[in-house]
Amino acid sequence: MNSKLASRSIIVITLLFLIGPFGIIILAGLSAGDFMTFPPDGISLKWYAKVFEVKSFRASFALSMFLAIGGTIAALLLGIPAAYAISRYKIPFAETIKTIVAAPIIVPGIIVGLALLRYLVVPLNFTVTIALFLAHTALVLPYAVRVVSSSLNNLRSDMEEAAVLLGCSRVGAFIRVVLPNIRSGVLAAFILGFVTSFNQVPVSLFLSGPGVRTLPIDMLSYMEMTYDPSVAALSALLAFLSVAIVFIAEKFLGFSRYV
Amino acid sequence: MSNSILSLKKLNLAYNKTVVVPDLDLDVREGELIALLGPSGCGKTTTMRAIAGLMAPHSGTIHIDGKDVTRMPANKRGIGLVFQSYALFPHLNAFENVAFGLRLKKLAETEIKSKVEHGLQTVGLAHLATRKPAEMSGGQQQRLSLARSLVMEPKILLLDEPLSNLDARLRLDMRTELQRVQRETGVTMVFVTHDQSEALALADRIVLMKDGLIEQIGTPSELYNRPRTKFAADFFGFENIFKISGNALVGDAGSLQVSYQVDAEYLAWRPSAVTVGNGSYNGKIVGVAFAGEHIEYVLETLLGQITASSPAAERKFKVGETIKFDLPLASGFALYP
Repeated sequence: MNSKLASRSIIVITLLFLIGPFGIIILAGLSAGDFMTFPPDGISLKWYAKVFEVKSFRASFALSMFLAIGGTIAALLLGIPAAYAISRYKIPFAETIKTIVAAPIIVPGIIVGLALLRYLVVPLNFTVTIALFLAHTALVLPYAVRVVSSSLNNLRSDMEEAAVLLGCSRVGAFIRVVLPNIRSGVLAAFILGFVTSFNQVPVSLFLSGPGVRTLPIDMLSYMEMTYDPSVAALSALLAFLSVAIVFIAEKFLGFSRYV
Repeated sequence: MSNSILSLKKLNLAYNKTVVVPDLDLDVREGELIALLGPSGCGKTTTMRAIAGLMAPHSGTIHIDGKDVTRMPANKRGIGLVFQSYALFPHLNAFENVAFGLRLKKLAETEIKSKVEHGLQTVGLAHLATRKPAEMSGGQQQRLSLARSLVMEPKILLLDEPLSNLDARLRLDMRTELQRVQRETGVTMVFVTHDQSEALALADRIVLMKDGLIEQIGTPSELYNRPRTKFAADFFGFENIFKISGNALVGDAGSLQVSYQVDAEYLAWRPSAVTVGNGSYNGKIVGVAFAGEHIEYVLETLLGQITASSPAAERKFKVGETIKFDLPLASGFALYP
């Protein structure tokens, strides 16, 4: 009886820690006052409305969406063939390639950002947008390769041979037989990549330029200037967006199998 | 040979530097049911993959229907393969699995529909057309895989261990099924197996392989009744095989002087060919097993252990008894290396 009570309270406390900040942010954004406070200073929706009026938020949201969607698609276009090659063919240095591909998540983001700034943007004169795009693609690539690899490993290769014997070319067999069967893995990789890219701060911090900022960076600098509850309101909206994405993914794909 | 649908000449198959099949010649006649039989690692599966075009031979040629297909890609050869694992497409239902190859041929939808329905009917799966492979039993999956290959009307149908993943009862069903399909469609079938009873029951001709070489080719009764080598005899149930040198038989434990001399490397006896109860030698019974129509004895002799059997109606011996036995030349079988 006592241990049951103990385990229950541990669960409740854990959930409070996880969900509590979320509640605080939602409520802080509902404040009627001019400063971010908790408990909120009266109740109003004006800060939620203001989020949509701030120009820089709109621009940085658009950039973040572009990077998250575009970067993840680029990473998948590179990652799916890479994962296929690693899992199907005995290519030399396969383990080394896997390690190199995983490097962007092992090396701290700050270092990746600084390195990209110093060796990509400055000497090659890349624009900030291109540098951001390349950086986000590289950051998402490890997830694309890992998740797609694991669903490829669950797929027997004789299925492709069967398709070839029924008249498919090798590429045709990949499109008709392999892709449909790793579809949920690809979608899971997409969602994971999207979230990783969208929430990315340290790398983007180094690669922001005048007028070109991702949403998290923009929120940081907005808060340095103005301490009003609109950032809290925006955070709450983004959190709802993430919950919605994960909910849809779980419902349609059984997302949790892949993570 | 003009009437051979499949002809392998001097085929050399290797993975990297490891030669699996050094030099293979084989002719298969149209409409035949051929078994490639041998223990694992004998090169039978490799040979099958080479016929299908899934691996390129190092040297030698493969002719199908008189045409050289050695360098032809697998998807152009018109060969069907039923994989040991079935290799069905999990994202497609039974109908679409069977229709897969027909759709690639860009046939008209009505033609596809009638061919698929006929194919599913042939293997008795017409009522399961909308099921996904995961919702079917092992036997049904196997029949689906067979139908998928058959609707393509292949010149040759290859089957990899077609019965090994099925339980005993389904195995019998599938065996009958394969023979019926073969009779109805007249398709040439080459199947790979490590189980001699499967090969004996199903094949018109058996190709017995060992270490990438053909040990013996013949009808089931030829291989069963007249094995040429020790390996073949071993494979087809001769349990007592002894080397013969001068007029002595040599076994694991020692030798036994006999009254005859033969110009052969080995002499072999099936358990039923060993005389028990009388003869010139003594053996101690160490095992007795009742097997329905006959009784099996294990005898401890100067040669080592001998397996013998006698009709159940005859006098029974008990474990521990020392009895007379004989290995008569007349019922023995001469083998060559």
